[in-house]
Amino acid sequence: MFKHLFKLIWNKKKQNFLLITEMLVSFLVLFAVFTLLMFYYNNYKKPMGFDYQDVWVINYNNSYQTKNVDSLDLYYETLRKTIKSLPQVKEITFVSGNIPFSSRTNQSGLTFKGKHIDHLNNFTVEDYYKNVMNVTLLEGRWFNKQDVVSKNQSIIIDSDLKEATFGNEPAVGKLLGNDDDKNKFKVVGVIQTIKRNGDYLKAGPGMYFRTDTGSFRWLDKILVKVTPGADAAFEGKLYKTMANYMKNANVEIEHLANKRTDANYFALVPMIILAIVSTFLVINVALGLFGVLWYNINKRRSEIGLRRAIGATGGSVSAQLVSESMILATLALIVGTFFAIQFPLLNVFDLPAIVYIEGILLSVLFVYLLVLVCSLYPGKQAAAIYPAVALHEE
Amino acid sequence: MIRLQNIEKVYRTDTIETLALNSVSLDIAKGEFLSIMGPSGCGKSTLLNIMGLLDAPSKGEIRIDDQKTGGMNDKQLAQFRNKKLGFIFQSYHLINDLQVLDNVELPLLYRDTTAKQRRELAAEALEKVGLANRLKHFPTQLSGGQRQRVAIARAIVGRPEIILADEPTGNLDSAMGNEIMEILLSLNRNDGTTIVMVTHDENMAHKTHRLVRLFDGAQVQ
Amino acid sequence: MLKNYFKIAIAVLKRRKFFTFISLFGISFTLTILMVLTAFINKVIGDNYPDKKRDRSLYINRIQESGDNNMMSSTLSYYFLSHYTGMMKTPAKVAISSMFKGTNTYVNNKKIAVNFKYTNAEYWDVLDYDFTEGKPFNKQQVTNADRVAIISEDMKRQYFGDVTTVVGKYIEADNVDYRVIGVVKNVPVTNYMLYSDIYLPYTVSKEDYKSKGYLGAYMAILLGNSPGDIPKMQAEYESIISRVPVERKEFKHVYSHANTFFRSYVDTGNEKQSGVFIVVTAISIFVFIFTLLPTLNLVNINITRIMERSSEIGVRKAFGASSKTLVYQFLVENLILTMLGGVIGTVLSIFALYAINNANLIDNLELSINFTVLFIGLLVCLVFGLLSGVYPAWRMSKLNVVTALKA
Repeated sequence: MFKHLFKLIWNKKKQNFLLITEMLVSFLVLFAVFTLLMFYYNNYKKPMGFDYQDVWVINYNNSYQTKNVDSLDLYYETLRKTIKSLPQVKEITFVSGNIPFSSRTNQSGLTFKGKHIDHLNNFTVEDYYKNVMNVTLLEGRWFNKQDVVSKNQSIIIDSDLKEATFGNEPAVGKLLGNDDDKNKFKVVGVIQTIKRNGDYLKAGPGMYFRTDTGSFRWLDKILVKVTPGADAAFEGKLYKTMANYMKNANVEIEHLANKRTDANYFALVPMIILAIVSTFLVINVALGLFGVLWYNINKRRSEIGLRRAIGATGGSVSAQLVSESMILATLALIVGTFFAIQFPLLNVFDLPAIVYIEGILLSVLFVYLLVLVCSLYPGKQAAAIYPAVALHEE
Repeated sequence: MIRLQNIEKVYRTDTIETLALNSVSLDIAKGEFLSIMGPSGCGKSTLLNIMGLLDAPSKGEIRIDDQKTGGMNDKQLAQFRNKKLGFIFQSYHLINDLQVLDNVELPLLYRDTTAKQRRELAAEALEKVGLANRLKHFPTQLSGGQRQRVAIARAIVGRPEIILADEPTGNLDSAMGNEIMEILLSLNRNDGTTIVMVTHDENMAHKTHRLVRLFDGAQVQ
Repeated sequence: MLKNYFKIAIAVLKRRKFFTFISLFGISFTLTILMVLTAFINKVIGDNYPDKKRDRSLYINRIQESGDNNMMSSTLSYYFLSHYTGMMKTPAKVAISSMFKGTNTYVNNKKIAVNFKYTNAEYWDVLDYDFTEGKPFNKQQVTNADRVAIISEDMKRQYFGDVTTVVGKYIEADNVDYRVIGVVKNVPVTNYMLYSDIYLPYTVSKEDYKSKGYLGAYMAILLGNSPGDIPKMQAEYESIISRVPVERKEFKHVYSHANTFFRSYVDTGNEKQSGVFIVVTAISIFVFIFTLLPTLNLVNINITRIMERSSEIGVRKAFGASSKTLVYQFLVENLILTMLGGVIGTVLSIFALYAINNANLIDNLELSINFTVLFIGLLVCLVFGLLSGVYPAWRMSKLNVVTALKA
C-alpha cells in the first residue's frame, strides 16, 4: 500500500512540489521559533544563582579622585560606614560596573588546554559580595583576607566556566590561565553561575577577581542589601546621603528586582512578537493546506468512488488520503531537517547543540500534527462520499 | 446467482419524492449474460448500483450467491464487493496519475496479496484484454477503447463471479464497442462469469442471453 | 473588457467563499504585519520630531581610536566637538548635547526616575522642539551657568501633577534645584540621540566639560544652510579628523564621521561593522521569510482555484481567447483579490497599531498609519498579487483545450 501511495505522489510531483515547498518553509520558520523557545526554556530551568530581592544598586560617576591610595581608601571606607549605619541597610559592597541585568560588560577570552573560551565575563568584587548577593557556593570558599598574599592571584569561577575548563573534576586548588601565561590564577571557589542577563538568556562563563588597592578609582557601583520593608522614603534618604557625600557625582538608585523585570521584558518582547507572527503564519498555512487538500478530494471523487466500488472501506479511503499528506510532510521534513541540522553541525549562533535538536524535534512533531489535523476532516469527508453518486457524475 | 425481490428505491429531497425503482424482481442465473435497456432516467443505473451494493434499496431484498446483503456493515460490504463483484463504467474511471499496471492492480490492494502476486495477476488480466504491451503507459496516453479494456482488466483481475457493466460501450465508436463486447462475451463463455450490462445499444443487447427493459422504474419485459 | 473581468472576479470570489476567505486572510494579515513593521521603522527613523531639518543635518555621535590589537570607541568630549567643529566653515550652526543619563528624584515619598541631558544654546536653534510653554535657554544663560531646565510634558505630569503651568517652578534632579523655563513635547526613547526628560545647559554639568580628552558623553549635529551643504560638511569634517593626532602612542588611527541620520542611528560602535548593512540584512531576511510563506500559500490556492475552473478556461480558449488574454484576465482577478485584502489589511493595521499604542510597549512611541506606510502597503499588495498570480496564470495558459474541457 505504501508503495502504491508513493507512486501516486510521485506521478503527481508537479502539483505536490508546491505543497512540499510550503511545508518545508513552514518547518524552517517553526524550527527558528522552537529553537529560540527551547533556548529560553533551557535557560529558564537553570537556577538564578543569587537573590535579587531587596538588593539595590547605587550608580555614581565622576567621583572623588586622588593619586594617594590611602586617602582614596579612607574616602570610600567612610562612605561604606555611613551607608551601613543607616537602619535599613543590611550589607553593602562596592562592585565593578557589570552587575546583573545591566548592559555593561567586561569580557575577555581564554585559551585553556588548547580550548578557546570566548565572551568570558570579568567581575571585580569584594569579600562582602557573597552576603549581599547570597550567591550559591558549589565548591571551595569565597574570598577572604588570605587572598591578598597568595603567590598566584586567587579567583573564583562560576559553574559555566568550570564546566568549560575542568569538566566534572573539582576545580578548587587548580591553576587557570592562558596556556602561554606564566602567572596563572589559582581557583579558590566555584559558585553557581549568576544569570546576569535575566531568566531567559544565557549568562555565559564568568570569573571573579578580588578588589585590590586602587580598585576604588574605577569601581562605580554599590550593591546594597536592604531589609524587606525598605520603601521610597528610605530610598530618598539613602539618595540624599549619597548625593551629599559625593557632591560632584551624578547618582542614581535602581532595584535589581526591577532591572530583572526590564531585562526579561527585553528578552520576551521579541519572542512574543515572533510567537504572534508565527501563530498567524501557522493559521494561514493550516487554512491553505486544508483548502488544497479539501479541493483535491473533490477533484478525486471519481477515484474515491471507484476505490469504494472495488472493495475499499470508508475507513481505508480516509486513511489513504491522510497517509498521502503525511508522506508529503515526511518528504518536506527530510529536506528541512537536512538544512536545520547544519546549525548545530556548523555551530551557527553559538547555541548548544541540544537546543537545536530539541527545536528540530518539536517542529517535526508540530508539522506532522498540523498536516494531520488539516487532512483529517477532508479525509473524513472522502469516506462519506457515496460511491454510487461519485461514479455516475460527469 | 443474483436475486432481487420487490426492490423499491425512493429518492427524497426537501420537496419531492422520486420513485426510481418500483417493485422490481429479477433472478439472474449463474453464468448468464443479461442486458438492461431503457430510456434515460428509467432507473437502470440505480438498479445496477443496488446490484453492486453501492446503494441500498428502500424496500425489498437482494441476495447474491444466496447470501443476504441487507444486514452487512460498511466493512463487510466492501469485502463482498472486492471478492465477488467487478465493475465497468461508461467513463472508465481510471486513475490518471497511475500507470496502466497500477490501475489494474488496484482491487488486489484491498485484499491480502504480495506485490509479486499483484503484478503477475494484473499482467495476466491485461494480456487477456490484449494490452500486454501497454503496462507502463498512463491512461491519458491510450485511446478510449484501450482505456475501457484496462477497466475490464481491472474488473477481472480479482476473478469475480459477477461483472456489472454500466454502458461499457457508450463512449466508443461501433468498431471499438464491438471489440469490448467480444471481450465481455468471451469472459462469459470461457470463464463462466455472470455479467449484467446496462446499455442503450439494441445491437449489443441482442448479443446477450436475456434482455430486460425498464420504464419509469418498472420492469416492462 | 475590464468590467467583464471585474464581474467574473466578483462572481468567482463569491462562489468559493472558503478559498476567498483563506486568500483574504493570508493577504490581509501579512499586510498588517508589514504595515506595523513599516509604521515602526518609519516612526523610529523616519519621524522627524524634533529634528525637522534632517535633510541638511549631519550627526556626529562616535569617535574611535584603534591600534593593532586594541580599540576604544565612545561618544565624544564636549571640548573635542566644540573645538573641531568650531574650525569648520560650512555649518550654519552646531548643536552639542550629551547622551541622556539616569538619576532619581523623590517627591512626596515617591520615586521618579529621571533622564537628563546637557545641551548648548544652539541645540534649540538646530532642533525644532515644540514648546507647550516657556522658551529655550539662550547663550547668556548658558555662559552664566544658570540653573535652568527644560522638561518634557511627561516629566511635568509626573513631577508636578495636573497643573496648567510650571514655568518658574523649581524641579530637583540629581540633588540640585533647577528653575523650569520651558516644557516640550515628548520624544520617544527610540530616538535615543535626542530623547530626555530634562534638558540642562552643559555648563551646569558636574563633570569637567573643559577636559581635553577626546572621549566623553557628547554628540553633535551639524546644520548646513541647504541640503546641498551636506557633502561639503562631510568632506570638511573628514579632513579635520584626518589631521587630529592620536591621544596615546598605542593607537594608530582616529575615526569619527559626520553621518546622515540613518547611518548614525544604526552605528554599531565599531568601524569594521557596518550598522546599515546589519540592519538592512536583518529586516530583509525577516520580510523575505514572512512574505514567502503566505505567497506560497496563495500560489497553492490560486492553482487550485484555476484547476477548478478548467472548463471555463477550455470554453474561453475554444471560442478564441489567446493564452495572453487569459493570463491577463487571471492577473486582473488576482489583483482585485489582493486589493480587497489590502483594504482589509489596512483596517486591521489600524486596529493593530491602536492596540500597540494602547499597550504602551515603548514610552511616548505613538505609531500611526501615514501616507508612506499606506503607499508601502499598496505596493506590497501589488507585488503580492503579481507574484502569486503569475505562476498559476502561466500554468493555466498551458492547459490544453481538450483536457480542460473534459476534466
